[in-house]
Amino acid sequence: MEEYQSGEETAFIVDEISGIIKESIEAAIGGNAYQPSRVNQWTTSVVELCLSQLTKLGKPFKYIVTSVLMHTNGAGLHTASSCYWDNLGDGSCTVRWENKTMFCIVSVFGLGI
Amino acid sequence: FKTAVVKAKINNVLKEELSNMFYNPEEIPYVTKKIAEAIKTRVKECAFDRYKLVVQVVIGEQRGEGVKMAARCFWDADTDNFAQAVYMNESLFCVAAAFGCYYY
Repeated sequence: MEEYQSGEETAFIVDEISGIIKESIEAAIGGNAYQPSRVNQWTTSVVELCLSQLTKLGKPFKYIVTSVLMHTNGAGLHTASSCYWDNLGDGSCTVRWENKTMFCIVSVFGLGI
Repeated sequence: FKTAVVKAKINNVLKEELSNMFYNPEEIPYVTKKIAEAIKTRVKECAFDRYKLVVQVVIGEQRGEGVKMAARCFWDADTDNFAQAVYMNESLFCVAAAFGCYYY
């Protein structure tokens, strides 16, 4: 018996991905206050955790995960992204997370193979 | 995907657009988008066929605060690559990254 699932397993589902990212950020830097000495380690651990969770999904996607970590000081920050890809098979998702001392913006781009 | 070529293009765009700019909360969202689009068009001109492009631009106000940006990618290391550039002046800083992924 053959089962052919088209579209479901190969779509970039924004809600699912954003849920995964939020959990990863919480797990990596959840209850911590901003410390300049640890920022390096935190950014990398957030990104690596996100990427490992995404690859566990087993979908035929290439992923690009970027994260920006900043101390809250009243300074403004803007990010924009422009992409040249295939709207049907590719997608992106950006999650913003903050606590009292810092905030973190994680962007995930998924490109279908 | 030639990193050096792309990096040079990104640097040019950043210098042109931001050389006399001050951080202005009203204008900056438009400027950020404009720069992202400009970088994308320039890289497309480089004629990397069969490459999908992702360009990300981050602009922030300079107040002496620390910012850290990291990226990890899950792709094919033989065909895919990225280029990045940072631009700073007294009132703002800008980080731009362009990723190219081969489409099989």
